[in-house]
Amino acid sequence: MAGLEDEGIGPTHLTQEEVRRVCEFLYRRTGMVFADSRRYYIDRRVAERIAVTQSGSFRSYFAILRSDANHEIEHLVNAFTVNETYFNREEHQLRCMTSDLLGNIVRVKDRTEAIRIWSIPCSTGEEPYSIAMWLMEHWSEVDSYNIEIVASDIDTRALQVGAEGIYSERALMRLSKDVIGRYFEALPGSRYQIHPGLIDSVQFTHANLIDSLDMARYRSFDIIFCRNVLIYFDDSSRRIAAENLYDCLRPGGYICLGHSESMSRISSLFRVCSFSEAIIYQRPEADHGAK
Amino acid sequence: MVQSDTISTRSRLRILVVDDSPLVRLYYRNILERAGFEVEQAINGIEAIEKVQTQAFDLVVVDVNMPKMDGFSFLRALRRSAPTVATLPALVITTESSEYDLDDARVAGANFYLIKPVSEVNLLRHAAILTGRQYERVA
Repeated sequence: MAGLEDEGIGPTHLTQEEVRRVCEFLYRRTGMVFADSRRYYIDRRVAERIAVTQSGSFRSYFAILRSDANHEIEHLVNAFTVNETYFNREEHQLRCMTSDLLGNIVRVKDRTEAIRIWSIPCSTGEEPYSIAMWLMEHWSEVDSYNIEIVASDIDTRALQVGAEGIYSERALMRLSKDVIGRYFEALPGSRYQIHPGLIDSVQFTHANLIDSLDMARYRSFDIIFCRNVLIYFDDSSRRIAAENLYDCLRPGGYICLGHSESMSRISSLFRVCSFSEAIIYQRPEADHGAK
Repeated sequence: MVQSDTISTRSRLRILVVDDSPLVRLYYRNILERAGFEVEQAINGIEAIEKVQTQAFDLVVVDVNMPKMDGFSFLRALRRSAPTVATLPALVITTESSEYDLDDARVAGANFYLIKPVSEVNLLRHAAILTGRQYERVA
């Protein structure tokens, strides 16, 4: 998103009604809610899309959007998503994963069964790669299980960046020199290419949290990282997302939210688990899928 | 590269790590490279056979359960190869722990056998023994 500032795209002055229509459209598609206070943010992104599509006016742009010409819905959603993140963000949850969650998971799991971990939204890949590196650095049983790491996002551009695995120095700020040396190759211009073995370890896919049909493709996860996305939703979308995520978990599976988010305020489906490193939510073992 | 575990070597020894999981391959690579070994990887027995026939290695570390060509089939093919390749030391790694598997590994041509999870110390100790180098654990 930072790139917008440099592209010289001035804000288009949308009317109140036009802003309402865009927000309503985005809300129905993604569950994201944009308040009036973010008017400038909205104007800039719509202006960018009007310029790129050469539609000239909001009216003709909105017609393009509604007909989804040249996948314009996807482009607009991509423009509105926030992809500011870095490696080992909220490290205490990664510590909790290796010190508590995985021990509980493998206690009831057959060794032939895969351990499935989901990063949604995964943005540009920092989170799923952090999970993979953390497991190799901190979990002594990492070689004993088939570990599947799935990384999903609604933003197809972000997914592409993740699958390419090239990052700025800033994204690596929380990683030690040793870890950077093991998993990254320095490129010209203070950029870093992540190890191809890590790219092979993560499966990037498109997914929409509030689309129950889409989410039905994802099942049997042991751990879900769903951090800092529900804050963009209103109560009703949050509830839908929570119920979808619940269905994607194995009974006994865990979900980690962002530090400012609380599942208890969204849904009573999950059990609150208080570990020394973090508060994590769990799909109860014996719920027989009842809601 | 200075770590608490080191392998005393004059030249870098080359190890081929064979496992279908990229995560596990990277994990073993990290341990072995930290100790001074040079690591090459293969994703299954077929790729491993191609690599041992075209490149020089001092040891192969091979998982048993792999799609396409498993560890035992790889070992049997390895031992039937040309004499220069057939004598390559092989360290077999598996999740199974039955005596049946252990016997199978020996018959197939494994020099040694480790059960997952394989600790760093254990992997390095056996890699050192099988490559004929001294393993030093520095406290």
